[in-house]
Amino acid sequence: MSDAPEKPARNLRSARVERIFDHAPGIRSLFLRLAEGRALRFVPGQFISISIPLEDETRTRAYSIASGSEDAHVIEICFNRVPGGRGAAWLFERGVGDTLDFIGPFGTFTMERAPEVETVLIAEGTAIAPIRPMMHLAARAKEHAPTLLLYGAQSPEQLLYRAELERLAANDRDLRIESMVVPDADCAALYERLAEETQKRWVNGDNVRVRQFYICGVGKGVLRLRDLLRAAGYERRSVHYEQW
Amino acid sequence: MAKLRIIFENGGPERVIEFNPADAPFHHDGRPGSILDIMLGHKIHLEHACGGNCACTTCHVVVKEGYGRLSPPEEQEEDMLDKAPGLTPTSRLGCQAVVEDPNAEITIVVPKYTINLASESADE
Repeated sequence: MSDAPEKPARNLRSARVERIFDHAPGIRSLFLRLAEGRALRFVPGQFISISIPLEDETRTRAYSIASGSEDAHVIEICFNRVPGGRGAAWLFERGVGDTLDFIGPFGTFTMERAPEVETVLIAEGTAIAPIRPMMHLAARAKEHAPTLLLYGAQSPEQLLYRAELERLAANDRDLRIESMVVPDADCAALYERLAEETQKRWVNGDNVRVRQFYICGVGKGVLRLRDLLRAAGYERRSVHYEQW
Repeated sequence: MAKLRIIFENGGPERVIEFNPADAPFHHDGRPGSILDIMLGHKIHLEHACGGNCACTTCHVVVKEGYGRLSPPEEQEEDMLDKAPGLTPTSRLGCQAVVEDPNAEITIVVPKYTINLASESADE
């Protein structure tokens, strides 16, 4: 059945591609200016759902809002090529001036306010997208609890926004970033290392169990980290995660 | 044949789908054979902002009949449902609840509201 379902009227928004930035081969950011001078307010961690018009139908695909600035008129999405991924392929074909439609923001993987208890952010590659606004939220606060980003990638060039995030950390004594590069490895090996670090520091390292965790990444490795922390005694709602 | 009865809390006309679960997938979003997959494959819209990947609550449905005939919820779905407005003991995410029983008779209500924290304003 290839016909698209009938859809009710939705709160569809339009945006124009204002700028394109290639982080690395196959990893791109689009900066989208909302039509008619509109602004989009979002909670760090949320995503928008973009309409992807394909030959036979229009599909909806979710992309985390990666915006780092407070300019609510322009939103940034960051994505990579995915084998067989028609949504990302379509986005890679967009040029400056092209328009696209979306709905949102949506999502419950959110940080509503700057951390009030020790917080650990764990991300991998492009999954830094929803974490980046969280880092900025903490950095903008006058005070916040110690916050650490543990950021893994398969190569240094896949550590996105690295200089910016390190700059944020340099100017904020309660904000830290630690990078982890696992070269020439598949995702499983990277998550193995992230799990080892998590086990060593926040499971075996002490008996403190009041930390908050925000984990974003691809595949089952995210669920493994979730299970590791919850089994160690962290309260279920203290372990936030988004699995791509 | 399995039967899925859909009641729309917003007053939309009730729909009934008869289908063979073995024919799944019916569409391409959500788990094959899920309520979302069945509805989309029969041209009935159910919001699914994340693409049916258990990353939001916009496909939240309340199961009125046949809850035990659906695949049991996994932890990820439970975590997500915790944040759904209007949560009930028989709430499910349409993208995750799979109908496998060929004789199942399921009735669901599509709530009027889903979570959408959008706040939009025009420049002055």
